[in-house]
Amino acid sequence: MRRLLFTAPLATAAALVLAACGTTEPAADDAKESTEAITLTDASGAEVELDGPAEKVVGTEWNVVEHLVSLGVDPVGVADVKGYKTWDAAVPLKNEPKDIGTRGEPSMDTIASLKPDLIVATTDLQPNALKQLRKIAPVLEVKSADAADPIGRMLENVDLIAEATGTTERAATLKKDFGTTLAEGRKALADAGLDGAEIAFADGYVASNQVSVRPYTSGSLIGAVNERLGLKNAWKQKGDEAYGLASTDVEGLTGLGKVQFVYIGNDGDESSDPFANELAGNSVWKSLPFVKSGDVHRLDDGIWMFGGTGSMERYADALVASLTK
Amino acid sequence: MAVTATPPTARPATVSSRTGAAAVTTALVLLVAALAVVDITQGTAAVGPAEVLKALTGRADPADASVVVASRLPRTAAGLLVGAALGVAGVALQAVSRNVLASPDTLAVNAGSYLALGIAAVTGVSLPLFASSGVAFAGGLAAAAVVLGLSGLGAGTVRLVLAGTALALGLTAVTEGLLLLFPQQTEGLYQWNQGSIGQNGFDGVLGMLPVAVAGIAGLLLVARRIDALALGDDTARGLGVPVRATRVTAVVLATLLSAAAVTLAGPIGFVGLCAPALARPLARWFRGLRRLRSAMPVAGLVGAALVLGADVLLRAFVDADTAVAVPTGVVTSLVGAVFLVVMAARLRGTGGATAPDRLRIRSRAVFLTTVVVLVLALAGVTIAAVLLGDSKLLLGDVVNWAQGRAGRTVSFVLDTRMPRVFAALLAGAALALAGTLVQAVTRNPLAEPAVLGVSGGGALGAVILVTTVPVAGAWGVAGAAFAGSAVAAVVVFGLAARGGYQQNRLVLVGVGVAAGTTALISLLIVLTDPFNAAKALTWLSGSTYGRTMPDVLPLAVVLAVGVAAAGVRHRELDLVSLDEDTPRLLGLDPARGRLGFLVLGVLLSAAAVAAAGTIGFVGLVAPHAARALVGRRHTRVLPVALLLGAVLVCAADLLGRTVIAPAQLGAGLMTAVIGTPYFLYVLVRSRR
Repeated sequence: MRRLLFTAPLATAAALVLAACGTTEPAADDAKESTEAITLTDASGAEVELDGPAEKVVGTEWNVVEHLVSLGVDPVGVADVKGYKTWDAAVPLKNEPKDIGTRGEPSMDTIASLKPDLIVATTDLQPNALKQLRKIAPVLEVKSADAADPIGRMLENVDLIAEATGTTERAATLKKDFGTTLAEGRKALADAGLDGAEIAFADGYVASNQVSVRPYTSGSLIGAVNERLGLKNAWKQKGDEAYGLASTDVEGLTGLGKVQFVYIGNDGDESSDPFANELAGNSVWKSLPFVKSGDVHRLDDGIWMFGGTGSMERYADALVASLTK
Repeated sequence: MAVTATPPTARPATVSSRTGAAAVTTALVLLVAALAVVDITQGTAAVGPAEVLKALTGRADPADASVVVASRLPRTAAGLLVGAALGVAGVALQAVSRNVLASPDTLAVNAGSYLALGIAAVTGVSLPLFASSGVAFAGGLAAAAVVLGLSGLGAGTVRLVLAGTALALGLTAVTEGLLLLFPQQTEGLYQWNQGSIGQNGFDGVLGMLPVAVAGIAGLLLVARRIDALALGDDTARGLGVPVRATRVTAVVLATLLSAAAVTLAGPIGFVGLCAPALARPLARWFRGLRRLRSAMPVAGLVGAALVLGADVLLRAFVDADTAVAVPTGVVTSLVGAVFLVVMAARLRGTGGATAPDRLRIRSRAVFLTTVVVLVLALAGVTIAAVLLGDSKLLLGDVVNWAQGRAGRTVSFVLDTRMPRVFAALLAGAALALAGTLVQAVTRNPLAEPAVLGVSGGGALGAVILVTTVPVAGAWGVAGAAFAGSAVAAVVVFGLAARGGYQQNRLVLVGVGVAAGTTALISLLIVLTDPFNAAKALTWLSGSTYGRTMPDVLPLAVVLAVGVAAAGVRHRELDLVSLDEDTPRLLGLDPARGRLGFLVLGVLLSAAAVAAAGTIGFVGLVAPHAARALVGRRHTRVLPVALLLGAVLVCAADLLGRTVIAPAQLGAGLMTAVIGTPYFLYVLVRSRR
């Protein structure tokens, strides 16, 4: 037994040393030639210098991935590809990017092996990880969300990414289309007599018999889009400073009164639609005025609530269709 | 207080104690009722006392009435049921194992139930409530069987708690890993591994009520027999009590109760440990309460009061909507931990843990062989850790990198990977050294930075700093961690010091502080940064993700100092770890040396926490295994423990980085998964 204990690690170590000789990449040699350089200032105030428009881009959050895809730049690396496909079907990936791990802890190894020209990250990533990413490639850090001006923040992020990828013309089109869709939506709602109608957008989830509800206050992207559509946000809760999200439970819905209740769930996640499943038999839920009047709307799956212009246009269209039905 | 003066054998005492027990029970019923009433008036809807009163008298508007009926009452009922079930389960387990530390938490019953439910959820089987309580029961029972099987019923207290807390940590880590492997929530919500009593309607409560009633009734039926066990197995047998059957029945019924509670609300920490602990002083005053038949209802009521009190407290201090996001289990753990610490510090005559290692004399050859094997293992693991990852490298790459001529990709990969490998190696060694020092000083095989709450205090300090000063540097975080660890250590050792390190008390206080810091960290993150799962993960379960060389520097410095100091004074460590008198006979002042070693241990754990988060188990396993391998002399134990710790954490980190790549599991989760089976194996072997 002891002899085995002795020889096993020795043999393993020896085998490792022998098998692991050599290199996977030749030693560094030449310098790169540069084309027209781009210099940007990102959310952290840091100057980002690029040799030219970035082509091989990695996105660590789904909102920036959506921006990239909308701008016609197919990212080479995306965090949690499966999750993106489930939750952001509004702007589907056109290529098969490499999965770089979770959004909270993307894998440095994988990102480095992709040799990107640019990494687009958000302020949600921990500062240490951002520091490391900056060593791998230029990092464009964008503010993930800002409850003070959600739409403005989102569009600025699109612009910033467009500048870095040389797609500013496309960005202008995106912004124009976004504005048009919202204006059309507003008109359609006004025509249906819904101008100034009260709306409450939420999502919900279940854990051990408890249903939690997340109100999207006026500081959330969806809340701001609702206001641009001429609707009034009915939530009284105060949201967080970035995403404008609050938390409550089914009781907290009693303060809403007669509103249009709108939510998004996902068939890929069983616990994401408590309003149709767990709460269906709940007498608080059943006693709510908007439930009694049938003003509960589930919008299409795959509209990412924190996404970009594509998701928000899909949201506006789906909302208008659902409310004016 | 006059009751205590009554001679225990006097006849009239029985009468007065009976009335006393009745008075206590009545008082507790009133307390629970008052808490329940307050709880019903709290919530996110604008339904206060006036509306509740109207609703209960049937004069409210239907919407308010439905809030009371479908939201408030179920929550309160769940609180009552869960608290009572856990309290009764705790008192029964303690009676049957003759161990004040036994509880659904320390016997890993809650953790086993929760893991079983997690596995059921992950496999995608959606079970009806009753079936899932069956699954939870099976999981809890299996965990209890393992713990009791390993430690033996009624056998050494320390062994039971060793096995139980070890298994609970391991099982919780597996549950956490499952949740990471199969994330149900894509919104970045962290699963706290803590239950909540909020309910969606009465279905859950009504489903679990019969189970809980059956469990409590069953325990009341065997209560007399369990009382007989308190007299000792032989006496009990003499009285005609089937010892084994009684024990098995009681454990099964207590598990059933815990499983019902976990199914209904998830794990609500510490109620099963605290409720009996709080009820015990009452039994000192009212002898009638010493009988299990009257002690069980009292513990049940205390449990219900704890859970409801925690809920009331939370909703009173935090605004109603935020309170929804805070799991009740976090608050009970916090409240429970405070009580546990106070109770433990006041405990008298808790007895000591006898050092479980037999005095082994090992030859020099054995020691040298062990060191050589470990050095080789360390080299192997380090090489593997450097080469393996999402991108596999070869040694030539590393040579290029070291000479500064590696290509772009290799440089990046190694620039980010090397600090993680270093952080893992150094944190492992530091925790092992800290564990060795603390175990030597306290002569307590259970003493370990994580178990004693020292690591938790460090993590709390670091989290407070990171939350308030987002741009804190590595030395700042290390300093904050040290401050936190130092406070935790002062509390634990200060409270346990009276009358020497009475060892059960030390561990009990430490477990309480550890649970308290975990709850505080959870609370802090859920209140200030609810969508930051990565932060929670690092500070609650340890991770080397995103570490850079400057982050590791403080740890390297502290470890170097620690190794030097311990190496120079290893003989003093030997003496201190022997007994109280030998150092004095030799003219040494043991107190000063002890304090020095403790400070060093705290410093080491704090540095490890700052660099890699809270990694449990290493400080427990490494010194233990080192002593088993090479005997007790610290000149030998120290190098072996250091090597073991480094190998363990480095291997854990390597596995965590690679098994579900490109996603990752925290190193702390992996040490628990690797450490648990090993630890249980050591426990089984030492039994022979």
